Amino acid sequence: MNFLGNVLSYQHFPIYAIMVLFLGSFLIAVFGENRIARNILALLSITASLGFILKLVGPVLMDGEIIAYWMGAREPAGGYAIGIALEVDALSLFFALLVSIAVFVSGVYSIQYMNRDDNEKEYYTLYLLLCGGVMGMVLSGDLFNMFIMVEILTFAAVALTAFRNTVRGAVEAAFKYLVVGCMGSTCILVGTAILYAQTHTLNFAQLSQLVPGDVNTATKVAFALLFVGFGTKAFIVPFHPLAADAHGAAPASISVIISGVLTKSGIYGIIRITYFLFQSMGLGTMQFLLVFIGSLSMFICVTMALAQHDFKRLLAFHSISQIGYVLTAVGLCTALGVSAGLYHAINHTLFKGLLFLAAGAVLHETGTTDLNKLGGLAKKMPYTTVLFLVGAFSISGVPPFNGFASKWMVYQATYQKAVESGNIGFLLVTIIALVTSVLTLASFVKVSHSVFFGQLPEGLEHVKEVSFGMRFAMAIFAVLCVVTGLFPNLVTSYLTEPAARAVFNVAHYIEAMGFDGSAVTEPVAVSFSHVGTWDPVSWLLVLCIALLSVTIVAVGSKYDNVSRSKAAATESKYELFYGGEAQELSQLGGDDLFWGFKHNWRGYFNYMHRLHSGIVNDYALWAVVDLALVMLFSLIVL
Amino acid sequence: MIMLNYIASFFLIGLGLYAIVTKYNLVKTVIGLSIADYGVNLLLISIGFNPGGTAPIFTWSELDYNSFFVDPVPQALTLTSIVIGACVTAMSLALVIKLEEQYGTIDTRKIRRLRG
Repeated sequence: MNFLGNVLSYQHFPIYAIMVLFLGSFLIAVFGENRIARNILALLSITASLGFILKLVGPVLMDGEIIAYWMGAREPAGGYAIGIALEVDALSLFFALLVSIAVFVSGVYSIQYMNRDDNEKEYYTLYLLLCGGVMGMVLSGDLFNMFIMVEILTFAAVALTAFRNTVRGAVEAAFKYLVVGCMGSTCILVGTAILYAQTHTLNFAQLSQLVPGDVNTATKVAFALLFVGFGTKAFIVPFHPLAADAHGAAPASISVIISGVLTKSGIYGIIRITYFLFQSMGLGTMQFLLVFIGSLSMFICVTMALAQHDFKRLLAFHSISQIGYVLTAVGLCTALGVSAGLYHAINHTLFKGLLFLAAGAVLHETGTTDLNKLGGLAKKMPYTTVLFLVGAFSISGVPPFNGFASKWMVYQATYQKAVESGNIGFLLVTIIALVTSVLTLASFVKVSHSVFFGQLPEGLEHVKEVSFGMRFAMAIFAVLCVVTGLFPNLVTSYLTEPAARAVFNVAHYIEAMGFDGSAVTEPVAVSFSHVGTWDPVSWLLVLCIALLSVTIVAVGSKYDNVSRSKAAATESKYELFYGGEAQELSQLGGDDLFWGFKHNWRGYFNYMHRLHSGIVNDYALWAVVDLALVMLFSLIVL
Repeated sequence: MIMLNYIASFFLIGLGLYAIVTKYNLVKTVIGLSIADYGVNLLLISIGFNPGGTAPIFTWSELDYNSFFVDPVPQALTLTSIVIGACVTAMSLALVIKLEEQYGTIDTRKIRRLRG
């Protein structure tokens, strides 16, 4: 009984949460021929993992405990860590919670979504391997273990990208991802090796104790290598084309994991090395690096998304654009900024997951994600349309959905930073964030118009609503989107603030593992003023009134389609604006809605189009140049 | 002597990156990845090397403060890294075969259906 009590102690739960996923992967590889056995095994392992993580929320997020777990009870000897450790603080658990929720929903969705593919056994094996890799990475307290988990998740993600290898470009996307992803992993390994040579330890807490006091050329190079390595995992600029390629080809349930979870693991790695390992975020120049790359990702990716006409490729670019928000907010190095960034990270996982699942539902029923071939699906797939709109409102930052709450905090944080530091550049960041949000909305107007509204193209008359399992998975995300938007105070006080406090309490992180953290100086005093100063309920009322009045006007007025279509017929150059309302087969395609905007900016768009050439050598060159620049930067400023 | 190892390892990593960036043949890209990986392995094993040290194989009773051996941790890391390198090569070659089947070429300049 004592043994059982020991085994069920929550101290062991982090390793259980990782192991059930890997065990499930192994068992499915062995016993997965039977469809029912396979589904039960997959659901069991993701549910168990979610359960273990949820059990940890109480002690770690609420009570602020840090779980230090030495594998095989190999405690440090002689002041040096000799065993492999898991260290779970509020930040780790925050990301683990995101991972397990996204994994659970996408697993439930997969059961129905993948039923027309063969090799489902291999799919679930790789799927659980990917999830286990991400889970292991965010819970690990050891730099080399983090590298191993990064490799596992990269391999699984590459294999799953190429899973539907008959889809156009799937193998190509997988190869590009493999080449640049492995360059990133190699960077992480070289960085780890250099740090080991300097400090003779791989333990994260001990590295955080030893590295900041002894910054020399070697550790500066290691910083650049680790930063770029985790950057490839987060797909921040200049690695965004890989994300777009991979998302377009991968099954939607995998896109949820890659966009909602894998990019977060990259952000997690960047937070760990900047705030913990090198404790360099107090430097204004280091804040500049993160904010600069974040703003660049925000803006470049949203404009790239405007030019796309493939549903999932467009969503992929938006995904990186939102990651830009997270990185920018985290890079501000204020309590409000980190809290805002983490809040946006949750929201991004939820709404982007929802949007990818909706795109997957469209693909599952129509067989295409080309915006120019779709249209009018609202009549055929009403539930999917409503759920998609919830996601689209959320990502565009329409109140009272969750995107607004977190973007509002990002604006506040950048503005507050500008006021506090007196640096006008941060105001520019606020403006970029606002413009990006506007362009995101524009882009989703285009998507919802060309997929769900307008004319139903020929050949799509047979389309049906997706099955209950898929709708259920999407509904989980949609409900969470609304809940996190309506109760921002609860989210900030129970989830993001404990995690943000953990980010600013490095000494505690080091001491929890039994090392000396007295030398740590925190970059800022943690205070959470300005958080949650808006009232979502009033916005909800405003939205309801607006919707109601639009409905009354639309239903009540005699809307004259005939004279409009006559005007359109006489003035052929205005056809574009009247098309789709009355005339047969004059659907506005995905390319058309913003042609004026794109025409005026054609220099920029053509340049970006040429730049994203699709040649793997170019992307590899970007990676090398990025590495060289970051290395130069860190040698100068760190 | 050990300095030569470090120079050689970073030379190999650089050579690998050079091959990935400049070569348009997919197989050469894969070779570039492998060369960079060998460079990392050499770096790791050189970090753990102590001149004159023995192999780090001891029982608990044999171990005392006079024992002088090479650092075993980087050796473990190198083994892991070699396994991962083999996986990278195998998987990327499998993808190259598939690409050749679908595109009829292994020239990176022609494999660019996803762009823009």
